[in-house]
Amino acid sequence: MKKEDTVMLISAEGFEFVIDRKAAMVSQTIRNMLTGGFLETEHGKVNFPEISTTILEKICQYFHWSLQYASLWMYVMMQGMWGAWYPVALI
Amino acid sequence: MSSGQKKRNFQIEAFKHKVVVDPKYAEKTWKVLEHAIHEIYNHNASGLSFEELYRNAYNMVLHKYGEKLYSGLVSTMTFHLQTMSKSIEAAHGGSFLEELNSKWSDHNKALQMIRDILMYMDRTFIPSTHKTPVHELGLNLWRDNVVHSDKIQTRLLNTIFELILKERTGEVINRGLMRNIIKMLMDLGASVYQEDFEKPFLDVSADFYRVESQEFLECSDCGDYLKKAERRLNEEIERVSHYLDVKSEAKITNVVEKEMIANHMLGLVHMENSGLVKMLLDDKFEDLGRMYNLFRRVPNGLSTIRDVMTSHIRDTGKQLVTDPEKSKNPVEFVECLLEKRDKYDKIISLAFGNDKTFQNALNSSFEYFINLNPRSPEYISLFVDDKLRKGLKGVKEEDIELILDKVMMLFRYLQEKDVFEKYYKQHLAKRLLSGKTVSDDAERSLIVKLKTECGYQFTSKLEGMFTDMKTSQDTMQGFYATYGAELANGPTLVVQVLTTGSWPTQTSVTCNLPSEMLALCEKFRSYYLGTHTGRRLSWQTNMGTADLRATFGNGQKYELDVSTYQMCVLMLFNGADSLSYREIEQATEIPSSDLKRCLQSLACVKGKNVLRKEPMSKDIAEDDEFSVNDKFTSKLRKVKIGTVVAQKESEPEKQETRQRVEEDRKPQIEAAVVRIMKSRRVLDHNNIIAEVTKQLQSRFLANPGEIKKRIESLIERDFLERDNADRRLYRYLA
Repeated sequence: MKKEDTVMLISAEGFEFVIDRKAAMVSQTIRNMLTGGFLETEHGKVNFPEISTTILEKICQYFHWSLQYASLWMYVMMQGMWGAWYPVALI
Repeated sequence: MSSGQKKRNFQIEAFKHKVVVDPKYAEKTWKVLEHAIHEIYNHNASGLSFEELYRNAYNMVLHKYGEKLYSGLVSTMTFHLQTMSKSIEAAHGGSFLEELNSKWSDHNKALQMIRDILMYMDRTFIPSTHKTPVHELGLNLWRDNVVHSDKIQTRLLNTIFELILKERTGEVINRGLMRNIIKMLMDLGASVYQEDFEKPFLDVSADFYRVESQEFLECSDCGDYLKKAERRLNEEIERVSHYLDVKSEAKITNVVEKEMIANHMLGLVHMENSGLVKMLLDDKFEDLGRMYNLFRRVPNGLSTIRDVMTSHIRDTGKQLVTDPEKSKNPVEFVECLLEKRDKYDKIISLAFGNDKTFQNALNSSFEYFINLNPRSPEYISLFVDDKLRKGLKGVKEEDIELILDKVMMLFRYLQEKDVFEKYYKQHLAKRLLSGKTVSDDAERSLIVKLKTECGYQFTSKLEGMFTDMKTSQDTMQGFYATYGAELANGPTLVVQVLTTGSWPTQTSVTCNLPSEMLALCEKFRSYYLGTHTGRRLSWQTNMGTADLRATFGNGQKYELDVSTYQMCVLMLFNGADSLSYREIEQATEIPSSDLKRCLQSLACVKGKNVLRKEPMSKDIAEDDEFSVNDKFTSKLRKVKIGTVVAQKESEPEKQETRQRVEEDRKPQIEAAVVRIMKSRRVLDHNNIIAEVTKQLQSRFLANPGEIKKRIESLIERDFLERDNADRRLYRYLA
């Protein structure tokens, strides 16, 4: 994975979670952080001094789940309608 | 947690924060945010941590300090906007708009960032307190502090209008900049755009075009003015597409249309030497098309054009139709009408987009003036006669159809179609009997067209005439088959048997045929009556022709093509060298006016004078002496002396025909009245007149006075009666 495709989310305890940029963008707030022209945009790193590691981990899992099943839902729909698997661009 | 059997509601509790006790907490937090806003407006956002600012704003709202945050936001933003405002005011001339544009762009970027960090407040505090959301707040503050500031508001509008004026006078301006500025006004809300810009813009434009239209009118003619107006209209549409709101297009085009076209419509149309009438006369299709397209946009535009065109056609048509010069030659008369119709057809199709209302106006105008000349039906029939005699020689079939269709078109305009029918019958009879028709197919084609237009009744007699000709041919074949051998050495007889009802009525005349012919004719009569009992034959000597082989004293032999009367006269000279008028009259018993004309054609026409007259005067007197002209010569072997060509009627003939038409109308009116009364039983006077006129419309225009007379006549004959109570009511008597 290229560096440009990932972002780093840092928990209160200092754990660094490196995840897919697309996954992070599921959150509108993080999206604004990363495209706003602030400090975070430049480095691609976001600090969360008030979010504990376990919580942040769950959040990252949620991001990925959301992406996967959002697109899976699209997959399922596609198969139902046309009876074939269509590679769907992830939204 | 024992559970198992007990059901428990699954609850999710909100993430609990540490409760903050610090009283200065709100102030401290706000200061951080205030500082951030300053930095954002100073283009230093990249040094700020979004997460920190977001968290601070979140905390403020959470701990019920949303109000402080909001009002702080308002005052900080206002402060910056006022600074920007001063900087814009300070800009000189040309850079005013650029400065405004650049500060607007800065403000938008800042606003977006601020909204992002205050997102939580935007989503929770603001809706619950019904305050203006951040983005909208930013726009409103900009509007109030910058756009509506005293020093900027008027200057902005004036600058914009200056630029637009420059562009209207041909200079190039910075359209991109204009687009951004106008878009700014649009973003601030429809009311800002409309009140602050659009309304004044429309007013200023109206003034501009009002002045310009006056200038143009003074120095251009109609065609040029319209070109300029069109150009201005297109310019404005282009302007809108480049830097104004799409919704303004309709409004500004209305302004241009009103000022440049609607206010000057009549002036343009009636402009001397270049207005509508001149354009019509000169077939200026492009100018006319432009006028049509421009006038279509304004109320009453097209009806103005239509009215002027109609009155022009009516006037020139009336002139054409009542011009005594034109009336001298019927063929020319009709050709002028056709030419006129073609001209306007072309104009309507090329310039007026085949507009049906214009087509209708053209038709009604033609109907109006064609019927102003009571001889129109006669002339149209003569035109057709000329074409069918020789005019269509060598013309292709499709072209023949074209010409006949055009004739039909003129026919439709006639109100007195029964007059046309009478003349047509006369002319057709002459054509058939003299065998002078160029194309049988063309004749029949025209009959079919008349039948389609007017119904079977109109053409049944005409068709009867054709049938008679055919039947006569068959009869002649039968006659010669029976008597062929006997008659081989005598003169050849060709008879056309005409059914009285179908052909134009003729009065029977006296005429003594030469003995050679008499015997032959009697033989035919007995042959015919042998096969057709119960009929009566009478010879129409005024309509026949004869071919004579003549040998003159100088040894010249000629074949003479003459009328029956002329034949009778000439045959007399087989038995006498010289005869006086009185003697000829006695011998032939031809009526004197016909005889005089006949002798004139034989003796007084140069190149055809087979007889010599003493004295050599033009008029025929009782004592004139006639003899064969032995010195007669001609270039042709066959000499035509007959006079059976259809001509324009003389005055007395015209009166006679007109009288006959009137007589024919009486029974038609009566039949219509009876028909109507039979189905309605009871009807009042006005309604009867209306119904009768409607029924007879396709043949002629019924005169109400005449209808009244016919009703009186029917009452006398007990077809109708007057109601006892109401004198205006009529009742049908079975």
